[in-house]
Amino acid sequence: MSDDLPTEDLADLYEHAPCGYVSLAPDARIVKVNQTLSEWLETTGDGLLGRSFLELLSFGGKIAFETHLAPLLRLQGFVNELAFDILKSDGSKIPIIANAAEKRDAEGRHLFTRLTLFKAVERRTYERGLVAARSRAEAAVGAEHETAILREQFIAVLGHDLRNPLAALAAGARMLTEREDLSERGRVIVKEMSGSVARASALVVNLLDFARGRLGGGLTLTREPDAQLTPVLEQVVSEIRIIAPDREILTEFAIQQPVDCDPARIAQLAGNLVSNAVTHGAPGIPIEVVARTGDGSFTLSVINGGVPIAPDAREQLFEPFFRGSVRRSQQGLGLGLFIVNEIAKAHGGSMEVTSTDEQTRFTFTMPLQSEA
Amino acid sequence: MVLTRNNVNVSGQGSRSMMFAHGFGCDQNMWSTVARDFEDDFRVILFDHVGAGRSDLAAYDSAKYSKLDGYADDIVEIGRALDLKDAIFVGHSVSAMIGALASLKAPRMFSDLIMVGPSPRYVDDEGYVGGFSAGQVEELLEFLADNHLGWSAAMAPAIMGNADRPELGETLTNSFCATDPEIAREFARVTFLSDNRADLPAITARTLVLQCHDDIIAPTAVGEYVSAQIPGSRFMQLEATGHCPNLSAPTEVTAAIRSFV
Repeated sequence: MSDDLPTEDLADLYEHAPCGYVSLAPDARIVKVNQTLSEWLETTGDGLLGRSFLELLSFGGKIAFETHLAPLLRLQGFVNELAFDILKSDGSKIPIIANAAEKRDAEGRHLFTRLTLFKAVERRTYERGLVAARSRAEAAVGAEHETAILREQFIAVLGHDLRNPLAALAAGARMLTEREDLSERGRVIVKEMSGSVARASALVVNLLDFARGRLGGGLTLTREPDAQLTPVLEQVVSEIRIIAPDREILTEFAIQQPVDCDPARIAQLAGNLVSNAVTHGAPGIPIEVVARTGDGSFTLSVINGGVPIAPDAREQLFEPFFRGSVRRSQQGLGLGLFIVNEIAKAHGGSMEVTSTDEQTRFTFTMPLQSEA
Repeated sequence: MVLTRNNVNVSGQGSRSMMFAHGFGCDQNMWSTVARDFEDDFRVILFDHVGAGRSDLAAYDSAKYSKLDGYADDIVEIGRALDLKDAIFVGHSVSAMIGALASLKAPRMFSDLIMVGPSPRYVDDEGYVGGFSAGQVEELLEFLADNHLGWSAAMAPAIMGNADRPELGETLTNSFCATDPEIAREFARVTFLSDNRADLPAITARTLVLQCHDDIIAPTAVGEYVSAQIPGSRFMQLEATGHCPNLSAPTEVTAAIRSFV
């Protein structure tokens, strides 16, 4: 059988292999080169012998060869999968992928560096495409990020600028109530206006806190080591009673110990929770606000009746801009619970939700003393 | 921790310390043969610049390392951590200049400075031949962006832990001269666009300049310029060719250093 197989001509294999071969002296001069590579370079082997291999490289290639490849070859004896360009005599480039290895004698002396080269035109085109795609993607993400920051700055500025006209409206409504002789109908309208202004102000506060958090300012606490929370919570509830006079709000406060907290933030947290209960709870069922200290912690629960929160929605409640399936007219920005959760975390505490057909209960728990 | 950040390795014994610094493109392995020869009578210090070898890549800060000063500050920090006084600094390529800057920042840390293939400015200027044109430096930076000339990021082990891609463990085999390609590009920019000519006359350390033949990165004229600008320095022409005599002719480099210290 073997009689039928042709014999391979090793000399011819070297000269006309489907890859380029070149051997370099330790000083990088070319000592042997095959026909294939000579043809790629459109020159003769004789024209290459004795020349430095560096002459076949672009300037960048030369520097990379001297500073990185030559040391790597000396230290390691081989380098695989090099990608670089070799220059034809007319200066045009051939993209190459190459393996290189040092040939050393028995004493370890460096005799030659051998390189096997493959043309890699398509591969290089593909790689450049990948690099370009990555650059474009990075640029797009960068632009997106900048837009997001601008948007948040815009929110912050807008929120800030809305506070003054709202304060003026609130002051005007107060003056009307206190100093003007209004008709019954006028008093009702002013009261509703005051309620709307209070809700708008609460929204603005949430918006500002959200924007500050996003812009890296974070939520800041002004802690009072022995804050008295009962009057704070009573104030919160009474304000909401004014806004929503037709809702029954029951309170049960058993706060026996001082709490190391930022009382204004706790008021904000409680205000958000009770407003939520007013908005989402069933109108006929009283809202309960329960606060107590004990076992080294402070807990505040706000309980309302009505349709329970769907389990999958419960997981996202504290995400910014999350708005459950509520009537369009009731939609806020979806920042209230996000801010509540941020305030809870800033106090080293946590939020918990339970929701059944009987009741929906939000509970805030925090340690009486700050950990730090 | 400075010593971990720069993968500092201390070996040998002796009353004097000798610190070896690698240049652009490789890591401390560049010096291993030469350094070993000094372990009998010197305390030998090897390290990797941040971004190279087994340094802490997380410590890389583009702003800090946008100037050679950032690298020189690291050397001063290593020197302080090891309590160096009147030590010998041996710097190859760009690290020759980085060491010179460190010697200016902490004058008592290094009494001797050995500069192997130094260049205070690679790009030609009026009345100055650095060997590179500005266009060539741009070409080099483009080349580094475009070619993965065996660069392998030191992050390889993290990738190799990825069971989904076992081929990566096989291919990322270069155990020397590991350099994150992005960092390599930034280091190249800082190196080849640096100009520290004005710092040379201020150098007070005893200085030896070692120059190779046919060094396309630091030509002989540049080595002579460096030596002429540093007061009282010695210039020594080596037989070795190319840019890395510490690897191609370690015996000659060792002998030259010995003759000086």
